[in-house]
Amino acid sequence: MIKISAATLAVAILLVQPMRAQAPAPPAQAPALPLGALAPTNLAKPRPKPPFDLTGVWLHAGGPNNGFRFSPPPGFKLTPEAQVHYDAAQKAQKEGKVYRDDIGQCWPAGLPVIMTRVWPIAMMQYPTVIYMVSEFMNSLRIVYMDGRPHSDPDVVVPSFNGESIGRWDGDALVIDTMHFVGHHHWIDSGIPASTALHIVERVRMINEGKTLEIEYTLSDPKSWEGEWKMTKRWNRQDDRDIAEVSCLPDLNDHMPSTRSQDNVR
Amino acid sequence: MIRSLAGRVCVTLLLMSAPVLAHHSAAGIDRTKTQVVTGTVKEFRWTNPHSWIDLDVADDKGVTQTWSVEMTSPAFLVRAGWKSSTIKAGDKVSITLRPFRNGDPGGLFVSVTLPDGRVLGERSAAPPAQP
Repeated sequence: MIKISAATLAVAILLVQPMRAQAPAPPAQAPALPLGALAPTNLAKPRPKPPFDLTGVWLHAGGPNNGFRFSPPPGFKLTPEAQVHYDAAQKAQKEGKVYRDDIGQCWPAGLPVIMTRVWPIAMMQYPTVIYMVSEFMNSLRIVYMDGRPHSDPDVVVPSFNGESIGRWDGDALVIDTMHFVGHHHWIDSGIPASTALHIVERVRMINEGKTLEIEYTLSDPKSWEGEWKMTKRWNRQDDRDIAEVSCLPDLNDHMPSTRSQDNVR
Repeated sequence: MIRSLAGRVCVTLLLMSAPVLAHHSAAGIDRTKTQVVTGTVKEFRWTNPHSWIDLDVADDKGVTQTWSVEMTSPAFLVRAGWKSSTIKAGDKVSITLRPFRNGDPGGLFVSVTLPDGRVLGERSAAPPAQP
């Protein structure tokens, strides 16, 4: 039987510790970090006065030519990879089922679908950034307005709402969004969004500030050919706040519209 | 009577003008049909993103089944006149719903007739707030 005294143990630890504490290789030069959008010195930089202020609560207006779905335009042509999903969705629909209803299973809706969920969106506009929080799952969208470019693709973390960079253009706000998650992310039933999805929104305030109009240009060369264009409208909701809303698996189990037997995975 | 009918028409029109649910696709539901079920409230859950009612309904043979009725969110329900106390377990109510295609007990809420005769939908065309 080998007895290890406390002293022996202490010596052993002392011998090991310095090895662990040895200085690692010198770190690579860290890149200089730009100012955060809410840094007071960034907010205080002189900028032209914006043509409008989005701050408020907005709800997709519905009505003629303003459906909540981002349905593909007539004559659309999908890539072979996307066509497989589209055909499966059409087949499911004929059977009274839904194909890969990921939103009903608590996956984030993602852009562009999150904008028209018929849930109010709280928008907060600062000189450097616009925050949009949908009441639907409290999905957060950030539009940087401080002049920064899109992130290095080698660094950016893809997300369902993507990375949005905005700039003022006359009476419009132009938002360019890319760096999307390309799985469990759909434009419409059976129309997958890939990592190549690119969305340009031209935002205008009309109807004396009561209506928001956004012209969408959607492209995704991994899913379809060319650009899809559509226009949506939202109404200002001055009698609303947004609440905390979470997607809850046990609630979903109880909902007639999310029950698994009607879903084709 | 006329007011009640007008209310129902109004509810129907609103349902046609906006999707009832923007959470998911509700593929198993037949949106072209409505059905009225009468029974006893088992549970009313006031919750986001959807409220719901479980209703115990007896069929012709006296066999009771629980119908799951899915509603919109409380924020919309408040605008249609609802509170969390509007119905409670034990209340006898009639619910108009859009049923499952396959006859399963359940569906999407359209309106309810309360014990006191009031009819509530789930959306209102309330005017915007005044400053």
